[in-house]
Parts: sequence; structure tokens; C-alpha cells
Amino acid sequence: MYKNIFLFMTVQLSLLSHVQANDMQDHNSHNHSIGHVHMDVDGSKSKIDPDKYKNFIKGLSAGQVAIIDVKGMVCDFCARGIEKTFYDDKEVKKVSVDLGIGKVLVAYSKLKKIDVDEIKNIFLINGQTATKVIINQL
Amino acid sequence: MRYAYNIPPMGIFKKAFISGTFLFISGIVIARPISWSGGSTFMYKSNFMYTSYYYHFSPTYKYSVGFEIIDDKHFKDEYINLRSTILLDRKNTKESQRNLYLTGAISTKTEDNFQYGIHGDWETRRIFTSFAYINKHTDTKDFTENEFQLGFAPYVGEYNDLHTWMMFKTKRDTINNDWQTYPFIKFFKGDFLIELGTKDSHWDIHYMIRF
Repeated sequence: MYKNIFLFMTVQLSLLSHVQANDMQDHNSHNHSIGHVHMDVDGSKSKIDPDKYKNFIKGLSAGQVAIIDVKGMVCDFCARGIEKTFYDDKEVKKVSVDLGIGKVLVAYSKLKKIDVDEIKNIFLINGQTATKVIINQL
Repeated sequence: MRYAYNIPPMGIFKKAFISGTFLFISGIVIARPISWSGGSTFMYKSNFMYTSYYYHFSPTYKYSVGFEIIDDKHFKDEYINLRSTILLDRKNTKESQRNLYLTGAISTKTEDNFQYGIHGDWETRRIFTSFAYINKHTDTKDFTENEFQLGFAPYVGEYNDLHTWMMFKTKRDTINNDWQTYPFIKFFKGDFLIELGTKDSHWDIHYMIRF
């Protein structure tokens, strides 16, 4: 029995280190390509329901809103970790998940320097894929 | 002012390391066997074969480790399994997610008690399908469990709504050696999920909370 437990623990530690190394590799491999920034003046690609968006920013006097396109966010359970992780950031004021169009809205304070890599990583560690981020200044 | 950042697709998950070497140590079948990075899950499951209490922790979204207390009704036995699940492959699209897991466990009872298998699912907001193939080894008998699930959502709920799934499960184990098919219903809201099904007066209950 103890032999089994020892073997189990050894393999778990090996797996953990390997998976974490793999995550780092996934993350680092995109760092250079994310710096590309372009303007999306009218926001037409975001297809956010204007009423939902107005409702979301209601009461937010100043700050920034990240509109994030997500792949793989097909169920409520899938999005739970995303919401929890964003709220760990004290500069995040509000999070809204729209499963129907696969988008997440995140309202930050105006002090927050938004890092797209950081946003992407939040989705990565929750098992989804962020494909596009639009940032609106309020 | 508005800025847009296009993010290229994620790199392909390098799964070469998950080889047959690890096959014998990985876990069992349950929907969403891995949580988000740093997330924990508690599950209670009861059917005519066993009752189990299972806790797992996910250091990353690709891997979970935990323990399961089993009350084996068939073999009239109680023991603890150390379980692990590895995400072999995941494909995210705008409308769906597909997963393939390697799962396994070893028992604290004897060296001869262990199990391993694979589990896969594909899910949209309307349709859910899954399969599982598990080999279980005990000191008295070895057997295999197969399971397929198919379900649909009668309505598509928004985030934070109560979600409902009408499901069918068909499963077989090589001890009883017959396929059992029965409907069950799945509800989830927030961090809670419950599944209820019945077949020949036996209840199949599954409760899950994530935190």
C-alpha cells in the first residue's frame, strides 16, 4: 500500500511540474505577437447588445472596459473561474459574462494599466481561449 | 477611445509526455473532472454499485488530484482512492468545447486495487455528449465500465440562471454484463450541480460544488 502511495505522489509531482512548464511555454510563445494594437473605432466587431452594454457601464463614472471575445465558454460552469479570477484584481469593478455571444466585459478603474497578456492568461488558466480584446475608455 | 488587440490562437497542447507510463495512475469518470487553476471541487455520487465522496484540487486546468472515499455496495467494502485526471486534449470554439481526459486511481487498500481509463465529452449550449471507458482492478475481480451520455438543454439559460439538461445515460459493467439505459435530469446554478436519475428502483444521484 505504501509503495502505491509513494508512487502516486511521485508521479503527481512529476506531472505538476511538467504541466506548469507546458503552461509557461504556451504563454510565452505568444508574447511577441500580442503587442500588435489597432483601433476599432466603431466597435462593430464586438456585437455587444447596446442596451446590455449601457446597463453594464451604468454607475461607472470613469474607467476602462475590456470587451473580450472568448472561445470555449459554452456553459455556466466554464465561466465561473473566469469571473472569480478577475475579481481577485482590486482594480476590477465589474465583470459580466455573456454566454450567448461568447464575450466577457470587464470594467477596470482608470488607474489600471490593462495588460492584454494578463487578460489572455486569465482565460488560459481557466481553460478557455481569448481571441480578441477591445478596450473602451469611459 | 477604443483599442483592439487580436490574439492569435493558442499553441497546441504538447501532450507527448502523457504516455502509457502514466496510464495506470489516472482516475474515473465524472463530468468536468478538472476545475479552473487553483479551483477545488467536492462531489457526492451514489448509485446501485457504490457511494462516493470525492474531493479534488486542480493546480492547473489540465490536471487534478484528489481523494475519494468509496462505500462499495457490490463488494461490501470501504476504501479510499487517490485519484488523478489529466486533460489530454481540449478544443475550444465559439460554440463548443471538446475534451479528452485520462483518468485513474489507486486504492489505499491493497496494491491490487487500482483503476484507469479515458473520458471524453463534447458540449455546446444545447447538446452534451460524453463517453467513458474505465478498467477497474480489485483483489477479487477485474472488470470494465463503459458509459455514454447524451443530453440536450430544453432552454438556453444566461449566465447565473438555473440551467437544466435532459439526459440519457447508457452504461455497462462486465460484472452484470448488461447495458442499462435510463434518463436523468441535471440542474446547475452558480457553483452547484445536481443530477438525478432512476432505473429499476435504483437512484443515481450526483451532487457537485466548486469553490
